[in-house]
Amino acid sequence: MPKITRRDMLALSAAAALLPSAAWAQDPTAILRGAFDNWKAESSHAVMEMTIRTATGTRNLEMESWTLGDDKALVRFTAPARDAGNATLQDGRRTYVFNPRLNQVIQLPASAMQQSWMGSDFSYDDLAKTETLITDYTHTLLQTKSSGGHRVYVIQSVPKRGVPVVWGAQVVSVRDDYVLLGQQFYDQNGKLVREMVTDRISTLAGRPYPVQLTMSSVDTPGQWTRIVTKSAEFDVSLPSYMFTRSNLQNPR
Amino acid sequence: MLASLAWRNIWRQPVRSILSLIGLAFTSLLLVFMLSFQLGTYDTMKVGALGLFDGFGQFQPEGYDDDPDISRLLPDWKALLGATEIEGISAAAPRASSFAIMAKDETSFGAAVIGVDPALEPAVSTLHSTIKEGRYLAPGDDATIVIGEGLARNLGLGIGDTVIMLGTGNDGAVAADVLELVGIFSTGISAVDRQITQMPLARFQETYNMGDTVNVVALRGLDFNDVVAAEADLRALAADNGSVYLRWDELQPELRQMITLDLSTAMMMYAIMVVVVVFILLNTLYMSVLERTREFGGLLAIGMRPRQIGAMVWLELIFLSLLGAAIGIAIGAGITLWVESVGIAYPDMDEIMRQWGMAGRVYPNLSLLSAVAGPGVIVFAIVVLGIIPYRHILGLEPVSAMGAA
Repeated sequence: MPKITRRDMLALSAAAALLPSAAWAQDPTAILRGAFDNWKAESSHAVMEMTIRTATGTRNLEMESWTLGDDKALVRFTAPARDAGNATLQDGRRTYVFNPRLNQVIQLPASAMQQSWMGSDFSYDDLAKTETLITDYTHTLLQTKSSGGHRVYVIQSVPKRGVPVVWGAQVVSVRDDYVLLGQQFYDQNGKLVREMVTDRISTLAGRPYPVQLTMSSVDTPGQWTRIVTKSAEFDVSLPSYMFTRSNLQNPR
Repeated sequence: MLASLAWRNIWRQPVRSILSLIGLAFTSLLLVFMLSFQLGTYDTMKVGALGLFDGFGQFQPEGYDDDPDISRLLPDWKALLGATEIEGISAAAPRASSFAIMAKDETSFGAAVIGVDPALEPAVSTLHSTIKEGRYLAPGDDATIVIGEGLARNLGLGIGDTVIMLGTGNDGAVAADVLELVGIFSTGISAVDRQITQMPLARFQETYNMGDTVNVVALRGLDFNDVVAAEADLRALAADNGSVYLRWDELQPELRQMITLDLSTAMMMYAIMVVVVVFILLNTLYMSVLERTREFGGLLAIGMRPRQIGAMVWLELIFLSLLGAAIGIAIGAGITLWVESVGIAYPDMDEIMRQWGMAGRVYPNLSLLSAVAGPGVIVFAIVVLGIIPYRHILGLEPVSAMGAA
């Protein structure tokens, strides 16, 4: 075990003295954690609309979602008729989909995680790996700026060594009341690949909330996916069967 | 007169001339055979690698090659099938393709799923001939699928089993289907056997909600090089129908790179061979000129001009090299044609060769190029370098030349 010498101690205390005390309150990991807690809380139940604009047209989907903790989520599509009944279940790092036509649950293979989710600009990985932003990345506070009477923290997240991730870096903007303002995804060469922007913030179930988000890819201009949260409740008690495969196939 | 003198001079030293001829002929023979064999191998590779699935050429929507998305559709694919009227094109087949999750019970794997026309496809690709179990798709098939043996093993599927397919349709909605496995193919290329599946085009179009549209039209000709030669006509047809034509090396650029790399290393070897042979031969001939100084002195004394003597010696060189090259080409072509009729098998290299779609034997391909290129370079080099003895002769004086040892 390395011994801490007197000189190390001196260096440490000098560094501590130089750091502004506010820096401790601006720990980027804590800010991100706060943003996720604001978004999903310990558990959540929400009704959302998803609009997908592609080169060929626009689709409107309605869905209902439930989340528990960091790693359990269930999304069930309710409209239009063509898509109703399709559902996605995330349980830890496993993702299952249910399709009413097949009447069968399929666990997605790793090779399929990069595929588009319901034809949107989101991939299955986006659903399953939201939380890995906190655990698999190292965060640095790039910038603190003021906007509309709020402080906005711009955080750069770079994957930790040896962690299998898709992105080369992500830049996340979070408001001081933990509202997520935007998220940019860069590839391994540092090129911006796609971007998610919060279009509208309002109060939802008593908390400031990014109720409208738009995701778009840089290489497909004019195409985007917009998710609007219509209603939500947080820290609700969810039955234990909610995130099971049998519930995915046969909702109670 | 000079020509007949030169010809006679060659046979004044029959042993030396024959030895030179043998050297020349043997080198020419080797060059003819090796080049023919090499070009034949490339043809086999191209036919094998492209014929298996891609086709010798393809019509695609613009941008499809970079981003093969199901929503990139050919504007008028039925008009593109008319490519078969272009000389050299024997067959054309439409295809649609996408990515899908293939599942059986608890297990699932991602794979490419390609909708093919069971009636037209066998004329374009040879994948149907690699069916190991069951059968290929047949006209009239509906909810059927053929998959590679790697995927079948991974999913634990046998003939007659049900395959669950889940993908994203042309409109973004979920495309799901239940298909019956009718055939398992084994191409020997593990990536293909693990990742490629085929189903009837009509069913694919319905499941993926794409109406009567397709993504690509693949082509084949009876002869690979006929399709290459038809490129201009094919590009024109593609342009008329708002699509692009992709040549074989645009479909498989890595194949072209491999051929270029292989050919350039071989060319270095050939170049070394040619240089060695040319200089050995030139040395022999120059030696003979030196030892005939006394004879040339005599010729000068009886009134022949140095220019004429030089031309005579130059002609000797030309005759010798032409004769040697001709013998080499004749024997080389004979051997090549014989091997062309029986082929060469590589019993232990089957695995490597199958990776390049070269199942079975390799056949050389004798062409005007492969027959003439190597020997031609030798003859050309000798003829050009013949200026060395020629210039030597121009410098001769009758008296001192006659007195030379």
